[in-house]
Amino acid sequence: MSNQERLMKVLLGPHISEKAHQVADQCNQVVFKVAPDATKPEIKKAVELLLKVDVESVQVTNVNGKTKRSRFAMGKRKNWRKAYVRIKAGQDINFMGAE
Amino acid sequence: MQVSVESAGGLQRTIKVAVPEETIEKVVQNRLQNLTRTVKIKGFRAGKVPLNVVKQHYGKQVRQEVLGEVIQSSFYEAVSQEKLRPAGSPSFDTQQTEAGKGLEYTATFDVYPEIEIRDMSGMTIDKAVCEINDADVDSMIETVRKQQIQWEAADKAAENGDRVTVDFKGTIDGEVFQGGEGSGMSVELGKGRMIKGFEDGLVGIKVDEERTLNLTFPEEYHAKDLAGKPVQFAIKATKVEVAKLPELDAEFAKRLGVADGDLDKMRSEIRANMQRELDSTLKSKVKQAAMDKLLEANKIEVPDALIQGEANHLMNQMGNNLMNQGMKRDQIRLDPSMFSEQAERRVALGLIMAEIVKQQGIKADADKVKSYIDTVAASYEKPEEVVQWYYGDKQRLSEVESLVLEEQLVDWILGQAKVEEKKMTFSELMYPDKV
Repeated sequence: MSNQERLMKVLLGPHISEKAHQVADQCNQVVFKVAPDATKPEIKKAVELLLKVDVESVQVTNVNGKTKRSRFAMGKRKNWRKAYVRIKAGQDINFMGAE
Repeated sequence: MQVSVESAGGLQRTIKVAVPEETIEKVVQNRLQNLTRTVKIKGFRAGKVPLNVVKQHYGKQVRQEVLGEVIQSSFYEAVSQEKLRPAGSPSFDTQQTEAGKGLEYTATFDVYPEIEIRDMSGMTIDKAVCEINDADVDSMIETVRKQQIQWEAADKAAENGDRVTVDFKGTIDGEVFQGGEGSGMSVELGKGRMIKGFEDGLVGIKVDEERTLNLTFPEEYHAKDLAGKPVQFAIKATKVEVAKLPELDAEFAKRLGVADGDLDKMRSEIRANMQRELDSTLKSKVKQAAMDKLLEANKIEVPDALIQGEANHLMNQMGNNLMNQGMKRDQIRLDPSMFSEQAERRVALGLIMAEIVKQQGIKADADKVKSYIDTVAASYEKPEEVVQWYYGDKQRLSEVESLVLEEQLVDWILGQAKVEEKKMTFSELMYPDKV
């Protein structure tokens, strides 16, 4: 897989939440859902490529899927990976307008 | 708010209105603020959605809504500011709706015409005058007798004016066609209700006599496949009857509802009935004439929107009438344009009359309303209840009031214009088509 193709598959989508909104305001960070095996440098490159902004730093965390009980069996949602991407001051990403 | 008016000829006006951005923005902000409390967006708890997120989601929609409302409200403001009286609903044309630049739109509409009530003293109105004389009553009784005709079986050859009951079998080229067979059909001779030659062919027939008629269906016969074809009818008469006019006697009087069978009483009752009919006809004739003159004296331009509205209204009324008479909805082919002339007249009259009422301060006279209701009630079994019924409902009462008002208006017109009396006979007046 070429480098470019890999980068296209790293970002899964914006993660919208109250916290995401808060860090966007206060820390100039944007929150993404990313592929579970994505690395920080990959994410940085992917964001710079796809969203045409300069990335200062990336922090990632693995989120455990919630366990859900049903009548018949226990279920588990998929684990996923969340990335906080700090954008250079003065630059801006607008997801919702693009949706 | 900036308003400029253009007159596009006739009654049409175009106004151009500009509303500044601040006015709109303020309302939009307000709406969004209210929305934050109720709106639900994924990722946020209800009521915790930040304003700018709400704006991103709903901003355009809210702005559209607000624009619609602002157009409505500012239009009325503009109209009252310019002292225009729009008739019908305006058509809007927005020219500038982009966010941040304010709103600009034009509205096109008709205005009510300025009505000047002209003096009508120079006009003459023909007023029909008529009295019922004995001959009229006689001919009316004759008509009633004819309606009450009785048939009496007779053993004789049928003549014109008699009724023959026949069994018949019609064949074309030796084959019976659909609907060509029947029994016990009664035919009045000399009325011309059957196809040509049928009734003539029955003259002189006797009971149990059989005849064969060779006829041709007329070209314009309603059944297309039969039209113009030669046909053979085998006919057998089962009954011959002669018409018998009821005698002018007590029996006849009783049948007309005079209990004691007094002929003089019957006569006077018929006369009273005729008088009533005559009165109402005279009244409507005069009213018609007065309205015609009124229109003639005050030619006004009528706004299209009103005509169209009225034409639609008339069409619906007509459609409902037809449906009440048993026509199917899809059978009725009506178009508002069929009524536009009538509608124009009605609208124009309505406008003129309203103006006169306003200028002259004519009000429905309570006494007249009461006497009108009393007359209507008199023809019912329990007059008091009818009167109650009328007074119990504002809407019904106002209908009567408008009727009375119309009458007073006619009186006023008659008082203004010269009235020329014109003698007419009863039949001339009641049956203008026959004379």
